[in-house]
Amino acid sequence: MPLPPPPPPPPTGSPITPPPPTGAPLAGAPQIARLVDGGDVMVEASGLTKTFGDVVAVSDVTFQIGRGITAILGPNGAGKSTLFRMLCGLTPPSKGTVTVLGRNARRDRDVRGRIGLAPQQDALFDRLSAHDFVTFTARTHGVSDAEAQARRALGFVDLDADDPKPVGSFSKGMRQRAKLAAAVVNDPDVLVLDEPLTGLDPVQRQRMIALFNELAAQDKCLLVSSHVLDEVARLGSSVLVIAQGRLAAAGDYRSLRNQMDDRPHRIRIGTDRPKELGSLLIQRGLAQGVTVDVTGVSADTTDVDALGRAIAPLAVEFGAQLNEFSPLDDDLESVFRYLVEHRR
Amino acid sequence: MSTAEIFDRGYRKFDGERAGLGQAVRSVSWHTIRSILGIGRKGRHKVFPIIISVIAFLPSVGFLALAVLIGDLLEGELQPEYWELFGLPIVAVVLFATLVAPEAIVRDRRDGMLRLYLSTPLTKPIYLAAKFIAVMSTMAIVVAGPVLLFLVGNTIQSLGPDGFGEWIEVLVKVVLSSLIIVLFMTSVSLAASSLTDRRAFASVAVLGVIIGVSIVVNIAVERIGVSRNLLVLDPFAVSLETAARIFGNVSPEFTEAGDDVPTWMVYSGTAGWILVGLGILTDRYRRLASV
Amino acid sequence: MTGSVSPARAVGLTHRLLFRQLLTRGRVIALLLLGGVTILAAVGVAVSDDVDDAAVTTIEIIDGLGLVLVVPIVSLVFASASLGDGREDGTLVYLWLRPMDRLPVVVGAYLASLTISLPLTVAPLGAAAAVGGAGADGITATVIASVIGVVAYSALFVLLGLLVKNSIIWGLAYVLLWEGLFTQFSEAIGQAAVRGYLRAVLADLSDVSLSDALDVSTATAVIVAAGVMVGSIAIAAMRLERMEID
Repeated sequence: MPLPPPPPPPPTGSPITPPPPTGAPLAGAPQIARLVDGGDVMVEASGLTKTFGDVVAVSDVTFQIGRGITAILGPNGAGKSTLFRMLCGLTPPSKGTVTVLGRNARRDRDVRGRIGLAPQQDALFDRLSAHDFVTFTARTHGVSDAEAQARRALGFVDLDADDPKPVGSFSKGMRQRAKLAAAVVNDPDVLVLDEPLTGLDPVQRQRMIALFNELAAQDKCLLVSSHVLDEVARLGSSVLVIAQGRLAAAGDYRSLRNQMDDRPHRIRIGTDRPKELGSLLIQRGLAQGVTVDVTGVSADTTDVDALGRAIAPLAVEFGAQLNEFSPLDDDLESVFRYLVEHRR
Repeated sequence: MSTAEIFDRGYRKFDGERAGLGQAVRSVSWHTIRSILGIGRKGRHKVFPIIISVIAFLPSVGFLALAVLIGDLLEGELQPEYWELFGLPIVAVVLFATLVAPEAIVRDRRDGMLRLYLSTPLTKPIYLAAKFIAVMSTMAIVVAGPVLLFLVGNTIQSLGPDGFGEWIEVLVKVVLSSLIIVLFMTSVSLAASSLTDRRAFASVAVLGVIIGVSIVVNIAVERIGVSRNLLVLDPFAVSLETAARIFGNVSPEFTEAGDDVPTWMVYSGTAGWILVGLGILTDRYRRLASV
Repeated sequence: MTGSVSPARAVGLTHRLLFRQLLTRGRVIALLLLGGVTILAAVGVAVSDDVDDAAVTTIEIIDGLGLVLVVPIVSLVFASASLGDGREDGTLVYLWLRPMDRLPVVVGAYLASLTISLPLTVAPLGAAAAVGGAGADGITATVIASVIGVVAYSALFVLLGLLVKNSIIWGLAYVLLWEGLFTQFSEAIGQAAVRGYLRAVLADLSDVSLSDALDVSTATAVIVAAGVMVGSIAIAAMRLERMEID
């Protein structure tokens, strides 16, 4: 897939900036997804490929990721978990390289102590209490005050450190939180969270998202995969979209939407004269398609700016009231669907 | 008002012919057989069944090869009796049982498939019956297969039973003996497998029951001097001895100083093991929490 | 705040964790029953009037039941599960993605399984030897043969748990087919089976002749067992380093 043209200046608050002039380009990589906001490269992949027999799970993925939260999106079977496993060194790539903090986690013992992983699978040491499990995790990371750090981590995720119940008796949500506590107990520089919001109720999800933002504010690098798109959107706007093992897109998802020129934007226009407005939009070439209902018009247009400039004068021209003008498909879900839908 | 028809409401109840309980049983049995033998799965799932089957058939193939190569010299010597052939690969048969029975029923309990099965017209007894059929069918491969092969091979080489009538008689005895041994192994191994929800431990349980009890009984009889009648409690020996008695023979182990262990005791011992196994199996499943 | 974990600490942490994971009531009771059967058989020898030489008969029971069944099965259940369970259920990642070397993790797992297997074999078999009247030599022979057996089998089965799924089935196949069946066909194969060396130790130290026992000294058996242990642990550590973790 060829590199998209340079994006227009992103909206305020986007963590993405154009690649700085310093730093050599990655050798041999035809395209680079660079999600580094002027700081250090924390995770780097170059031509990363993983095959299982005839199945290509990840194909030629290249990216650089810095501090902050990066959401890894993709449908089931896209290769997200395989990508995470390669990052953490749990499985070697078939081709290409991947480094965390400049080192290969599969070979470098010390860098493994700086990674926190909350894997997707549910399995825990069922006979241990949450406190024992997280303390064990802390000790195996060489944490000096393991018990205290375990308490702190459990407090982070709202689990009772004094609960003697074994984790085998926990609900799915509690197990998820225990995993997260274990992932953060060693104060890692890089956190890899595979579907961390699964099994959590809405309140817990909000709490977790707040926690992730806290960790990102501490200059950690968080890689989060999720299907809960509306909440991923609240984690920030930096995304890596994987589809069928390939890197489909990377960057600020709002900017990505702007680049989808071949896909009309859908705008919702609330008005008291929807039929007339709809016809006018078509006649004047401001929209390529309209859907009319009682309260307004949903217009498909390839030029949002032109429509935006023309709609107010148009409404004045034939005396219609406007009470809404908002994009319907600017959200992450629309971006995601567009990127992965046509690949199926 | 114009008339209108809806041709497709999306989800609808199934209106077609329902194949009934028999089909459900056949489906469960066939699916279980496929799982045990690794049919439709990767090659590594077939390794064990193939290895054990090869070992089970080795004695029969070996003796047939002997007959083909130097049969004229042997003149029928060194050829085993049909009932003796059941005992030669017995270790492989037991190992097969430790593999087959846990695979058949433990996985369903552990993975939650049992709930799905019982949400259909299948009841627990019918489900167990289907599993029983599946395990018996696969066990028959390594129990009956070698002996039937030997019978056919001998027949082709004119070393088989004399005359059609005798041939049918031998065939019936082989089939009946196989059926009893298979029933025995199936009942005992499924009962042992019903005791735990982990396949690995179920295998150990099967082995512990069959080989463990056998060793203890043999020690009691051979070393301590307990009456040879106790051998009816030896799962190895009593099932094989049943086959011997069907053929009208008595194994040396079941004879002492001219006194044979009575045939009725042998048959009762075998029947007892089968019934106890069935009883444990049905009781364990009856007690399973409502699914 | 964090640092790498020393080998000694890694051994201790792994041992403590896996000891707790392996020690379940069901396993212990079932395997104690297995050992208890040996004691029962020995009691039968002690009370029977038909036994000519209780010491010899008891040693034969230790050989036929203890070394054939109790020692390998108990070792198999715990050793194959020590790392094998983690491999199958996905918890191995919590031992792997750590600043710890692989060898100490394997050693810790091995020691955890030994800690449980040794009492569950040595105690009942030693008790059986005592109850059956095997005498001091017989008891010593039983204990030493059992210890050597558990040490060697446990190492082999820790490796097996990392190599294959359904490691218990493969372990049973090794015990039943390789050691139980194939070794009868050739002495060369007999020398490639752990049980042969245990029988040799039992016969050598108890001074009881066991049929078809390997003609090797106790010292040789100890060296072979040590070699099996070291080799298996080393290969397991290499396997753990290179394997793909789910």
